[in-house]
Amino acid sequence: MILCHGEILPNSRQQEIIASLKDTAALPVVRNEPLTPETVIRACDALAQRILNGDFDTTVKPFLDLFHISGGQFEGMVRLFTRENLEYKCSIELCDDERVIGGKVRRKRYPLGVLLHIAAGNVDALPAYSVIEGLLSGNVNILKLPVGDSGLSVKLLYELIAIEPLLSDYVYVFDVPSTETETLKRLSDLCDGIVVWGGDAAVKAARRLANVNTKVISWGHKLSFAYAELDASDEELQRLAQSICGTNQLLCSSCQGIFVNTNSREEQTDFAKRFFEILKSVNQSAPPVDYGMKAKNAIHLYNERLEASSENNIYYHQGVSVVIREDKELELSYLYRNVWVKRLPADELYTLKKHKNHLQTACILTADSEKRKKIASVLARIGVVRITSAGNMSRTICGEAHDGTYALREYSRIVEFEVESSAQ
Amino acid sequence: MKYTNRLFNQKEIYDAGATNRLFAAAIRENAQFHYENCPEYKRILDGFGFRPEELHAYADLARLPFLPTLYFKRHHLQSVAPGKQIIKATSSGTSGSMSKIGFDVKSLNLGRKMVVQVGRYHRLWSATPVNYIIFGYQPTRENKTAISKTAFGFTFFAPALSRTYALESTENGYALSWDRVIKALEKCEKSRFPMRTIGFPAYTFFLLRDLKEKGIRFQMPKGSMVTLGGGWKQFYAEKADKQTFYSLVKEVLGIEESNVIEFFGAVEHPILYADCRYHHFHIPVYSRVIIRSPDDFSPLPNGQAGILNLLTPMMQSAPLCSVMTDDLGVLHTEQCPCGAKSPWLEIIGRVGIRDIVTCAAGAEEYLKE
Repeated sequence: MILCHGEILPNSRQQEIIASLKDTAALPVVRNEPLTPETVIRACDALAQRILNGDFDTTVKPFLDLFHISGGQFEGMVRLFTRENLEYKCSIELCDDERVIGGKVRRKRYPLGVLLHIAAGNVDALPAYSVIEGLLSGNVNILKLPVGDSGLSVKLLYELIAIEPLLSDYVYVFDVPSTETETLKRLSDLCDGIVVWGGDAAVKAARRLANVNTKVISWGHKLSFAYAELDASDEELQRLAQSICGTNQLLCSSCQGIFVNTNSREEQTDFAKRFFEILKSVNQSAPPVDYGMKAKNAIHLYNERLEASSENNIYYHQGVSVVIREDKELELSYLYRNVWVKRLPADELYTLKKHKNHLQTACILTADSEKRKKIASVLARIGVVRITSAGNMSRTICGEAHDGTYALREYSRIVEFEVESSAQ
Repeated sequence: MKYTNRLFNQKEIYDAGATNRLFAAAIRENAQFHYENCPEYKRILDGFGFRPEELHAYADLARLPFLPTLYFKRHHLQSVAPGKQIIKATSSGTSGSMSKIGFDVKSLNLGRKMVVQVGRYHRLWSATPVNYIIFGYQPTRENKTAISKTAFGFTFFAPALSRTYALESTENGYALSWDRVIKALEKCEKSRFPMRTIGFPAYTFFLLRDLKEKGIRFQMPKGSMVTLGGGWKQFYAEKADKQTFYSLVKEVLGIEESNVIEFFGAVEHPILYADCRYHHFHIPVYSRVIIRSPDDFSPLPNGQAGILNLLTPMMQSAPLCSVMTDDLGVLHTEQCPCGAKSPWLEIIGRVGIRDIVTCAAGAEEYLKE
């Protein structure tokens, strides 16, 4: 299923359409006045209201069930697209005011031009979200759907264009497998920027695909963790466990493991046991993990036990585990409610800096607000971009930055005119 | 090896219940051998505080610590000297890494006895020559995957007039050659001798679907068979409903469902499972199945889905007495109209098959297998 000029077309027409884009894709941004955020906001708001009214329940409900998204969470997501929230987002990210510098130079924001969005499939409406961000910044958007896409994004974008036909020349959706590198190369050649979502492999592939003069904006692989003082309360640990069970550790912002501020193995073990008991009990009231995933992790953990030296300790119960590790590395967990616990004294926090752009969210668990401030300050300096309390690692707030930057700014460029000039 | 030898000399191969005591004795004997000859196996059993002599009765088998296939992918375990391992096989490496298992003469002899019996029961042996079409790899000196060796081995069930491989070894690795296979099928149809296909179910399915879409139909000579082996591998997501598959075989090749036979086995459990005419994998006397819960690995009652743990005393060269696979399965005890008394095994998929697509995971590259 592909989308072109507001029409849903069969895949068989894909090559012909892509070939025709060579001369036409960039036309809307070259010929016209930039697409205003207002046009996009109006359409998004109308669509969001219709979704909230239940007009799309039959389409949307199955996806919510599949991804274990509650009605409340979903409503929160949809509300991000209402007028109030989008205006707020644009006011923060776009800085659209025309500023004159030193009385001589006038500054104005323009879209990059044409964006190719290479979407990932972990959140179902994410591809559409990425395109909407491209539209808000005024770009023409070409979306490459992820493998196994459910069709929800195409449906949403189709409805958006039906509400605001002006957008029809600004949105193309294609179903090109990642293995079709020639087609992807042709699409990439059309673009001023490639927006890539996904793991390191996807980001590397996008960089290979991009010409030297094409900007690559990557929303890539991220690792998030908790940093705990020994005085962290059971309530905090419980909120952390809830967020681990709620996201199954699949999001960039999900906690993969806990670093404990200690050098003592005994204190680490006590902490791990305490968290394990809490995680076990939270797990029992959370929706069950996919059976095959649970089985896979059970085998991995059993294998780890066989391979382990006696220093390792694994606490496992019905698909949930806490593994005591001896190293101090930030790493991915087994996912699906399986957490590592490592010792990392506060004066060694700087060692995480080597993870650079992989760092994302860290939550701090402590009862002491002075300690919290100090740790937060270190975390911010080493590269963490979101510092939260236990239950808020994966919260979404309108107007918040994305991976340490603002998407709409990344999709824009600043043009400076001499004041005397009458050029736009 | 006396109990193991007796087990592999059984004439009634699908009456597992009648050999339970013998099987337990053979496993004890086998586990004891590995315990004494494979230091790593000893370390693992010692780690669980388990000694092979604790296996007194059949019910004790579930207590024998099992080794996951994952472990064999990372560690090369051997209980006989490398010089005595005359064949080295590797798994097909669906998930990127491969198990390496050596076979010694004694193990191979037991395997040969098993293949003779299984082949006889399923009427695979035939003096009539056949044309083979193999939907798999052409075996080469470099290709040690068990599936290509097994596929080649199967071509000895009946004398081979010809062998055509779908995946042919070329200068640039393996290449899929549909055209050649289609030409070979055309030749088979005109032959007065039967045809047998061998290979991955997925490739067989895709080829037949392709032929159907092109409107190509054959009526293969009487006695022709479609044999399947190697599992559905990466294609579980597209796994064809078996009945659809049999209808496709009938429609495209003109071969009856009763002449479609599927095999199951693994490098880490080299027992030949063949399905009956009702397409059930009955447990042969050489093997036992324990379905375990992912919660705590406790054995689950028959009829419940869980992780598949396979046991056999066949191997001397590597401690494969109890192996935990990556498969999810169900053990059925309902009476099968085919008459085999053993329960039958249904494979329902692989663990963790639901693709993890996540920005946190950065895909499987980070999931160390």
